[in-house]
Amino acid sequence: MQLLNIGKFILLRTLKFAILLFAVVLFSFILVSFSPVDPIQSYLGAEMMVVSEEQKEQLAEYFGVDESKTQQFLNWLNMFLHGDLGTSLLYRQEVLSIIQERFLASFMLMAISWIISGIFGYALGVIAGMNEGSWMDRAIKSYCFILASTPAFWIGILLLIVFSMWLGLFPIGLGTPIGMLSDEVTWLDQIKHMVLPALTLSIIGVSNITLHTRQKVMDVFNTEFIRFARAKGEEGFRLFARHGLRNTLFPAISVHFASFGELFGGAILAEQVFSYPGLGQAIVQAGMNSDVPLLLGIVVFSTLFVFIGNLLADLLYYLIDVRMKNGETI
Amino acid sequence: MSVLIFACFLLVACTSQASDSETGKKKDSLVLAIGSEPTDGFDPTTGWGRYGSPLFQSTLLTLDRNFNVQPDLAVDYSVSEDGLEWTVKIRDDVKFSDGEPLTIEDVIFTFETAKNSQSVVDLQNLKKIEKLDAQTVKFVLERPQSTFLYTLTMLGIVPKHAYSENYRENPIGSGPYKLVQWDKGQQLIVEENPYYYGKKSPFKKLTFLFLSQDAAFLAAKAGQVDIVSVPPNLAKESISGMKLIALDSVDNRGIMLPFVKPGYDAEKGIEIGHEVTSDLAIRKALNIGIDRDKLVEDVLEGFGTPAFSVADKLPWWNEETVFEDGDTEAAEQILMDAGWRKNADGIFEKDGEKASFTLVYPASDQTRQSLAIAFKQMAKEIGIEVNTEGKSWSEIEEVMHSTPVVMGWGSHDPIEIYHLYHSKYRGQGYSNANYYSNKKVDQYMDQAIHAITPEEANEYWKKAQWDGETGFSALGDAPWVWLVNLQHLYVVNEHLNIGEQKIQPHGHGWPITEFIADWTWEE
Repeated sequence: MQLLNIGKFILLRTLKFAILLFAVVLFSFILVSFSPVDPIQSYLGAEMMVVSEEQKEQLAEYFGVDESKTQQFLNWLNMFLHGDLGTSLLYRQEVLSIIQERFLASFMLMAISWIISGIFGYALGVIAGMNEGSWMDRAIKSYCFILASTPAFWIGILLLIVFSMWLGLFPIGLGTPIGMLSDEVTWLDQIKHMVLPALTLSIIGVSNITLHTRQKVMDVFNTEFIRFARAKGEEGFRLFARHGLRNTLFPAISVHFASFGELFGGAILAEQVFSYPGLGQAIVQAGMNSDVPLLLGIVVFSTLFVFIGNLLADLLYYLIDVRMKNGETI
Repeated sequence: MSVLIFACFLLVACTSQASDSETGKKKDSLVLAIGSEPTDGFDPTTGWGRYGSPLFQSTLLTLDRNFNVQPDLAVDYSVSEDGLEWTVKIRDDVKFSDGEPLTIEDVIFTFETAKNSQSVVDLQNLKKIEKLDAQTVKFVLERPQSTFLYTLTMLGIVPKHAYSENYRENPIGSGPYKLVQWDKGQQLIVEENPYYYGKKSPFKKLTFLFLSQDAAFLAAKAGQVDIVSVPPNLAKESISGMKLIALDSVDNRGIMLPFVKPGYDAEKGIEIGHEVTSDLAIRKALNIGIDRDKLVEDVLEGFGTPAFSVADKLPWWNEETVFEDGDTEAAEQILMDAGWRKNADGIFEKDGEKASFTLVYPASDQTRQSLAIAFKQMAKEIGIEVNTEGKSWSEIEEVMHSTPVVMGWGSHDPIEIYHLYHSKYRGQGYSNANYYSNKKVDQYMDQAIHAITPEEANEYWKKAQWDGETGFSALGDAPWVWLVNLQHLYVVNEHLNIGEQKIQPHGHGWPITEFIADWTWEE
């Protein structure tokens, strides 16, 4: 019975996703068509004047910009439905292979910072919530508010200045050591290069989950049964472990899954600062040069990524919280 | 955003960084952060290395520091009387970095591949290629084109036997270096090509980093790179152990003034011309009244040179076109002589028409914006009213035939002049967008295109600018007000000597590696 429900749930979600994907892609395409960047102008740059009109026409054909916008979109959609994301104009390479190449780096980075920010964010939220109103609570709260409004690239540059320039502990950017051949690169090297970008993302990612957990902990601690437990003499971590953990951990995890979108956005900025070779770098290039196939390819991919995050979040809620099944809200 | 970043740098500037200098052993590798990654790879047939130095490949001919044509892969070339047939003889002792010999088939293959590639490489005028013997090839053109010479200096030769779809990622060539590893989005590692036939560089290994501008600067501060390109606002920050090098360029900025009276080009369906700028007196007054040195000082923070043409200091540039500028009195005199009179606001008027126009600049480009605003103030001093307006490129494309625009060019190929000023290109996209036309100038430029030797061509290019009576320079019809040439800035390890460089083209970065064979490390 429950399995059937989950099946229905997933089916419904997939349908929703298809509609969402179409809307996002269409919207992105419309946005790019309004972009002031002419891909041919951007590709030719200063060479504009040494290239003849005949050659420019050939280029327009190659770039597929000689057709109407509607036709261009239909062409893309047709290709997409046949499982082909096209060729990037900028990289002259299959969009799918660029995404494959780049996603691994991005994924490792995002996974690590997601886990770190999850653990720290939850812990901070619990500490703040349990000590509501204390100096610790206020400190954590202000920390979160400041972070929530701090751009990731700025944190990134600060970390670079402190840890790479002043202290020389970590490398400046890139995913591998300068000038080192890939078979000489060790795991340790790779981790060293990942620390600062991952730290940047983690620092930023903490605030959301901390504030959420703090609220949840406070709610739980204001209920009857906690007061009852307290009256029985339970307190501190023991009290929390017994009564608070289950009530706050899963909501926190699902909120954290739902933050995939922000994670992705943060990764784009962090990768720019650290010259980290992930998807973020590629999407910036694509946007700046009106590389429509690459841009749409990454849009499809990131939509899928964020959707999976949200789906997992909802699924968790659904499986774990009995009340959700009865249509109640917490 | 950039203000924040800059603030961080100021913070950092207070602490000095001791860079660990190599001791004892001779340094034979360099780390460079000189600019953007060629994302579409290292295939010359789609445009890699067009500015003289493909690094992995070599070209048939090359231009030395004074832009004289020198042989490279070719030992000799000749052009037929009608300018249609180019015969090139190549060396027989050249090997690719994989040890295979470079043959005439490779040359033919390269040009055919490039012609069919939809890219920045334009070989539309190349009709066919014939093999004459094992060392000689004949290129047949559709129309005479003396600038075909520059194509021969730009197109790196690729090996037929090792060319595939993936060539762009694994280039094999006969150039001074071979690619060892390309970590996309991060770095490029190259080593010397053991088979290279030319002068060898003392640096056996080079690592090019593709860092963002901020990260590159931090890396230099941390002593991790030997050469880094910097924007003007960071150039004045000193980095211990490094020196600033400012290279002159033809990376120019100027103002395109609509040349004809207002009208409508029915064929192209566009509004053209401008009432005020179609007056020669206005164009001349602006040219002579603008203080270019002041623009360099104020807008470029000193990192630039005054510009008087699209091709300053290149061999096809006419030196006579330089004049004493910043002369507001002379400018006003020119306007008075043409019948313009100042009104109560100090703005010139003629027949009820105010000397006023809108100047458009690409809103995304800070330098061009600053130039536009400085130009506006200088124009006001001579009684011409300029309103500035930032637009996107696609908006500019719609108005550029009837509105002055801040633009920038600067190529090592004089065909640029042809496209900018020849009347047959009027209104064709960015080519001659201001509808300039002068029969005499057209004739000179056609003669330049039909010329057999570069010397002869250059004579005609110069005459097209100014022949003593007419021309497209400010002395003649003045369809443009050229303002400045930017300098390209690099911060270089103080032990590294990169020697003399060519005048840099529009576009930063890779051109600096052209003379890497002459770089030295001095302790």
